[in-house]
Amino acid sequence: MRKSGSEDAPFLPDHAGFWQAEIVEQCRLARDTYRIRLHAPELAALITPGQFVMLRCPELRDPLLGRPFALYDTIDDRDGRPAHVDIVYLLKGKLTHLLPKRSAGQELEVWGPLGNGFVPPSRAQHAVFVAGGIGQTPFVALAKELTGRRRYGRPPRVVSQATKVTLCYGARSAEWLAGLPDFEAAGCDIRIATDDGSRGHHGWVTDLLAELLETADVDWVATCGPEVMMATVARMTAQRKVGCHVSLETPMACGIGACFSCVVPVKEEEGGWDYKRTCVEGPVFPAEQIAWEV
Amino acid sequence: MMETTTDPPAVDLTVSIGSLSLANPVLVASGTFGYARELAGLVDFSLLGGILPKTITREPRKGNPPPRTAETTAGLLNAIGLDNDGLEHFLTHRLPYLASLPTSLIVSIAGRSIEEFTEMAGELDGAAGVDALELNISCPNVSGGVDYGVSPARCEELLRQVRSRCHLPLIAKLTPNVTRVDEMARAAEAGGADAVSLINTVSALGVDWRRCRSLLGNGLGGLSGPSIKPIALRCVWQAAQAVSIPVIGIGGISSLDDAMEFAVCGASAIQVGTANYYDPTLAQRIAASLPAAVAELGAHKWMDVVGKLQMP
Repeated sequence: MRKSGSEDAPFLPDHAGFWQAEIVEQCRLARDTYRIRLHAPELAALITPGQFVMLRCPELRDPLLGRPFALYDTIDDRDGRPAHVDIVYLLKGKLTHLLPKRSAGQELEVWGPLGNGFVPPSRAQHAVFVAGGIGQTPFVALAKELTGRRRYGRPPRVVSQATKVTLCYGARSAEWLAGLPDFEAAGCDIRIATDDGSRGHHGWVTDLLAELLETADVDWVATCGPEVMMATVARMTAQRKVGCHVSLETPMACGIGACFSCVVPVKEEEGGWDYKRTCVEGPVFPAEQIAWEV
Repeated sequence: MMETTTDPPAVDLTVSIGSLSLANPVLVASGTFGYARELAGLVDFSLLGGILPKTITREPRKGNPPPRTAETTAGLLNAIGLDNDGLEHFLTHRLPYLASLPTSLIVSIAGRSIEEFTEMAGELDGAAGVDALELNISCPNVSGGVDYGVSPARCEELLRQVRSRCHLPLIAKLTPNVTRVDEMARAAEAGGADAVSLINTVSALGVDWRRCRSLLGNGLGGLSGPSIKPIALRCVWQAAQAVSIPVIGIGGISSLDDAMEFAVCGASAIQVGTANYYDPTLAQRIAASLPAAVAELGAHKWMDVVGKLQMP
C-alpha cells in the first residue's frame, strides 16, 4: 500500500507558481456555464492540456479554499506569446456562484500548473473524447494539440497528430452544451447526446461511443465527466482493447499533494489497491488502473 | 497581505521546547504540509521555525474512504483517517529528505496502544534529523484515535511510558473534544511531556440534506480553519494557565494577527494548519512579520509577549 514506487508522487508541483491574476473578461457559454479569461502569462506558457489550476477569491474566508479547474485553453498576446488562461466553469458551489460577479480588472488567486495532464499515445490515428456535462472542458486544448492547431508547454511539447478527433458530448439538454464553436474550431467531429433528446442522440453519451467502437477504427479514448459514465467508458474500451485515459475530478483542498483529500482507489502492480492523490498522481490515469468497484 | 519588513527590529524569536531550540515560533501543522517534499517548489523552509510532517503510524494505513474533506463556512471538515505508508517507509523514504531541510523537524506519530507509541518513539529516538516528537493523541477520525487524549490517567501513563523509551522532546497534541482541556494538559505535563500542542480538529458533522447523507465518507469529521480559532484560543489560554511547560497554539491561524492572538493567550509557538492549503507561504511570511508585532507591544523577545493576556 505504497503511495508510489519511489518516495515521491510523480507530478509534484515543483514548477507551479502562485499568482494574483487579473480577470481579462468573462462570458456566458451556456446555461450556468461561463468562461473566465485570466491574465497569467507564466502559467499560460507552462500549462498543458489536462492539467489544472486552483482558483480562489483573495481575502475571502468563505469560500476559504481554492477549487480545481481544468485548463480550457491558453490565449496568446499580440506578439504570439501565451498571455491568458481560459477556464470554463459550471455554477455549482460557493466559489463558482461568486465568480460571475467578478468583473474584468479584479484579481483572483491562481496556482498551477498542477497534475499530469494528458499524454496522448504516439500512434493515435483516431482519438475519441467522451465528455459528460462540464467534463468537456479539458478537451478543447487537447483537440487543438492533436490536430496541430496549437502547442502547449515550455518548451512547446511535441505530440504526434491524430488524423481524426471525435468529441462525444453528453448533456442534460441542449441549453447546457457549452463551447461547441470552440470544439469545431479545434477540428473536432462533434457528436451529441442529451438526456431529453433536445439535441442529438436521445440517450447516453456512451451509446455514441458504442457506435464508434463498432463502426470506426478508434485508437485512443479520453474521458471526463460523471464517474458512472467514465466507469462505463473504461469497461467498453477494455472489452475492445482500446487504450483509454480518464481525467478524474475529486474534492480537493490544496491541489498540491499536501492534504491527502483527493484520493481515488488505484490498482497496484502487486495486486490489491491503494488510495492515490488525484492532484499529484493524476488527474489523468490509465482507465484500467482505477479500481471502480471500491 | 502582510509585507515582509525590510528592516526588522532586533527581536529574539527563539523558543525552547525541552532541549530543542526553535529559530522562530512559527511551525506548520501535521497533516497540512504533506511530507514537505510536496511544497519544495513553493516554500523557503529555512524561514520556518519547524516542520511537522503528516502523522505516521507503525503500520501502513489506507485511510478513510472519500470524500475526505468538505468545506464549511470559513472552515474545513476532514476525515482523512491517517492515510500513511507506515514507520518503516517513513524512515527509508521520507526522513532522509526531511532531515536535509534547514529547519527543525518534529515528527508526528499515532498509535493504537501504548506499545505502538513506545515502539515508534524508540525507533525515532536515534534517527538522524528528528528533533522532537508530537504524539497525536487527538485524531478524531480513526478508531481509538483519541483514547489517550480524553482520559487524563491514560494520557499521563502514555507520556510516562514514551518518556522512558525516548530522549527526544515530547509534545502531546491535545483534542478540544473534552470537558476540561486544562486537566489533559496537566496530565501530559505530569507524564513528562515537554510541551502540549492544541487544538486538533473539533469533532463535527456536515450534511447534504437533499441526499440525506453526510458530506464525508467517514460520516463524522474534524473541523479546522478560521471558524475554530476562538475555540482554540480558549483552549490555549486554559492550558497555559494550567501548566508550566510550553503550549503550542493551533487552530485557524491565517494571519499575523491570529498568531499574535495565540501568543498573548499563552502560546510559546504556533502552528499554521489549514491555511497552508491555499497559501503555503503564509507561515514564512508570519515569521518574517513577527519582530515588528513583538516590538509593537514594547518587547524585544517573542517570549516576553507570550501569555500577556489580561483577563477580567
